[in-house]
Amino acid sequence: MFTTLLKKELFVELRNKEVILSMLSFGLTVLLIFAFSLSGDPKIIHEIAPGLFWSLVVLSSTLGLHRLFSQEKDFDAFASLIAAPIDRGTLYLAKWVSGIMFLSVTELLIILPFFLFLGLSFPVSFFPGIGIVLLGNLGIVAVGVIVSGLAMRAKMSAVLLPVLLFPLITPLLIACVKATTGWYHVLPFSHWQFWVLIIATYVVIFGLAGYIFFDHIIEE
Amino acid sequence: MSFLFQDRRTRSLLIITVILMAVNLYTIFVITPMVSEQHWAQKIFYVHVPIAWTGFLSYFVVMVAGIFFLLKKDAYWDRVGLAAAEIGTLFIVLVLITGPIWATPIWGRPWIWEPRLTTTLILFMIYVGYFMLREFGGHPERVARYAAVLGILAFIDVPLIFYSVKFWAPQFQLHPQVEIVQQPDGILKPFFFSLCTFTVLYILMLRFRVKILNFRHQIKINNV
Repeated sequence: MFTTLLKKELFVELRNKEVILSMLSFGLTVLLIFAFSLSGDPKIIHEIAPGLFWSLVVLSSTLGLHRLFSQEKDFDAFASLIAAPIDRGTLYLAKWVSGIMFLSVTELLIILPFFLFLGLSFPVSFFPGIGIVLLGNLGIVAVGVIVSGLAMRAKMSAVLLPVLLFPLITPLLIACVKATTGWYHVLPFSHWQFWVLIIATYVVIFGLAGYIFFDHIIEE
Repeated sequence: MSFLFQDRRTRSLLIITVILMAVNLYTIFVITPMVSEQHWAQKIFYVHVPIAWTGFLSYFVVMVAGIFFLLKKDAYWDRVGLAAAEIGTLFIVLVLITGPIWATPIWGRPWIWEPRLTTTLILFMIYVGYFMLREFGGHPERVARYAAVLGILAFIDVPLIFYSVKFWAPQFQLHPQVEIVQQPDGILKPFFFSLCTFTVLYILMLRFRVKILNFRHQIKINNV
């Protein structure tokens, strides 16, 4: 059932590209603002680059997360989805995994302009960075799907989503920035392994919370 | 308002709270010793810490009420959760006001990204979202469910926020780290007395607020 639901999410996105396009276009716009407003010492930009990257990811992800439930909301498809004999936790997992895929694709498309526009040097090794980014995505989308579910039927859902999401993901954001800084500035793993642990703890706690509570979130 | 004082237990609790609070204020201002380096600024400690304790206790009650609401589907627990969230936020705002009042003369500036203060601020921001969700969430039954989920998530986020902020900026570990039990009796006893007084005040406020919300609910049912 999980694969069927995941296929549905991917199929819908492939057809209209709503989530990825909204995140990508918004991300590029924010990047442009960063590039214009930070035209200072390259050393300083190199220092704060991990923070800029995660700010970009978090800001762009709000648009994508807002669109995660758009199809169901726009076409009033929730009633049929809930009526289907599907475990609600599985629904959450499908939204979570598809959300991670959409966010990762967006990051993949945005990373090159990010380095080029800000005049950043490329990192020595890529794999630890990819791991941190994937873990960070897991955390952002784990909470994002919950919050998006809470906000989707509200009157001011577009405002409510970031208002709820940003404070909740503060520990994750701090940990992601710290771990990325450690990796990008080529510090030994022992200097930033604590932050990876915080991200992993966050992912486990909120992933489980989403799986358990999603039933109460999508109920009519 | 008379319905609030109809039962004897609430009346007794109100009288006890008033007496305790009067004794507490007298103890803080008159009896407690003056700490040499901090003078009057230290006195805020007897109010600031108990307020912070009741604020966090209140958010813990929001989480417990949320769990009970999701398990039992009884609207009473939603009202308890709402009452605790309102009172908790009031106390947390007071923490965010009294903290900088103490910090200005001691640290030389009102705000530092210190873990306890930052955790309190982030919790406050989460609860701003909580009240917005309650206001704009739509159908009351759905809002009650959402609020219960958010109340639980907010509280389980607390240790993660605290530890991430603590290690994010280790240079800001300026919050008094003294072991409370190592304090002299002249400070320790009034402090615990104040802690108990504020806890009793919190219980009274929670009882009042739940009563008002129950009353409001009853009026709504009668009008339908």
